[in-house]
Amino acid sequence: MSLAGLELVFFLPIVWLLHWLGPRRAAWQNTVLLLASAVFYVTWSPRLLVVLAAAIAASFGAGAWLGALPTEGLAEAELVAVRRKRRRVVTAAIVAQLGLLGVFKYAGFFAQSLNALLTAAGLPDALPILHLVLPLGISYTTLIQVGYLLEVYWERAPACRDPLAYAVFVGFFPQLLAGPIGRARVLLPQYLVPRRLLANDIAAGAAAFLLGFTLKAFVADWLSPRVVDPVFANPAAYATRTLWISLFGYATQLFSDFAGYSLLAIGVGKVFGLTLPENFRHPFLSKSLAELWRRWHISLNTWLFDYLFAPLTTGRSWFRGRAGAGFLVVFLVSGLWHGATWTFVLWGLAHGLALAGHHAYDGWYKGRCRKDRRWVAARKSRSYGLVSWGVTQLFFVLTLVPFRAPSLGAAIAYAKGLVGLAGVERLAERFGLQAAAIVVFFVAYHLLEVGPGPAWKQRFLALPAPVRGVAYGLVLAFLMVYVPLGASTFIYAQF
Amino acid sequence: MTRTDMRQLLLDWLDDNYHFGEAATLIPSDDASFLDNGILDSLGFVALIVYLEDKFHITIDRKSLNRENFDSLNKILSFVLPRLGA
Repeated sequence: MSLAGLELVFFLPIVWLLHWLGPRRAAWQNTVLLLASAVFYVTWSPRLLVVLAAAIAASFGAGAWLGALPTEGLAEAELVAVRRKRRRVVTAAIVAQLGLLGVFKYAGFFAQSLNALLTAAGLPDALPILHLVLPLGISYTTLIQVGYLLEVYWERAPACRDPLAYAVFVGFFPQLLAGPIGRARVLLPQYLVPRRLLANDIAAGAAAFLLGFTLKAFVADWLSPRVVDPVFANPAAYATRTLWISLFGYATQLFSDFAGYSLLAIGVGKVFGLTLPENFRHPFLSKSLAELWRRWHISLNTWLFDYLFAPLTTGRSWFRGRAGAGFLVVFLVSGLWHGATWTFVLWGLAHGLALAGHHAYDGWYKGRCRKDRRWVAARKSRSYGLVSWGVTQLFFVLTLVPFRAPSLGAAIAYAKGLVGLAGVERLAERFGLQAAAIVVFFVAYHLLEVGPGPAWKQRFLALPAPVRGVAYGLVLAFLMVYVPLGASTFIYAQF
Repeated sequence: MTRTDMRQLLLDWLDDNYHFGEAATLIPSDDASFLDNGILDSLGFVALIVYLEDKFHITIDRKSLNRENFDSLNKILSFVLPRLGA
């Protein structure tokens, strides 16, 4: 079952009615959501539900153990012993979670890479290649659980005592396949109290769902088979101009697919009275890479920032104060998280190096600013902003070549084509009405965030509910007429 | 170190690293959120933590690293000054 699929039309209303018609108690609401999540997951993989359940039980148990070892009010000698014990518990629990992810997601990659290295050295293969089925959503549920364990370990969040609430916090079906990655301090408390059915939540949820579905079904699913897939399947055959169009098409598709999914998840969460974290904030408006990563896949990047970058660069190791090195580590991890292939490693390396480079440039520029205020004024100028925006967006789009290409060879062929060493093929699809509608929609979606855009948006949201309802109805009617029911799978569910 | 001295030191750091002489005018009040008012971003907070630890030879534990302790001038002053014995 998919969040944009036809089955949801039947599944969601049943779950919704059960959730709200039963007693207004957290235990009832969580039971309904947990059972619904189990059903949702079973439609993908019944056997792997056991793996997910075991992982949740293990992290819940470890969290409870940490909660039973408080450090406050202890004498120094006792404190040292308790801290040591807490460190052991959290280390074992995190190793178990990452180990599970490692076995399913990375064992094959490392075995293949090692064997390739040995073959190159003229030695026989050392490791067998395991072909394990990756439990869907494990990349997301692992991060949710590791984040929870660290929060409890650092005593920034209390250990959860309610196994039902904790299981839903990790496995709530809208966020199960591709996030957003919920955080213990913000999301978990919502599951511990009974939720109230509010008209505003329903309206906000419906609006988010509608926008998410439009991005996914109207934009992403239209672009994928017509503009992106054929070109990436055989880049050497296509003309340079087509390769550029396809690359920008892929940037649009990727954003629409993933931001669309996130909005669907947020919308479903809202109709159950839950606020899932925001995951995208108009990243194509960013004027620097650091800003872009604060706007793109926000829940992953804030996770990496809080649990990897910040401890690394504020800790006592060599990395202390070395933001550039921190960026490199974080983006290599981010690349590997996206997928166990060398194309993702290359993508992560490119972003890590670019952020480190930009950080160094920033330091140099600040030195100029300290000496001469004209440099401050130059940085605030419109032309500086325009160039920064252009360079940032162009770099981001170019790095999507290895991100999307099926192999390093294909990525190199695509890159060569972009600079002129290309074929002659063009897209079969002409630039027609739907392509124009997508461009207008996409540009308008971003422009609503700049200049008078936010004020217009607020004015629309302040309109009487029936007027907004008619507007949403028109969008829905348009989608029903022009968009096939049921959308394809989501790109980020593969990660 | 007095509260006034520490406040000035923070403004100097913000000027030196981010706002180049405009920090005092950009911060609407000593209670104004750094994050919400664009005074510091998440990277800036990390740099500020390292600066405070190195400058005053203090250790800020992970439990204390949150908006409640570092998101405004007053919050930073209230958090850091007691740790200096001021």
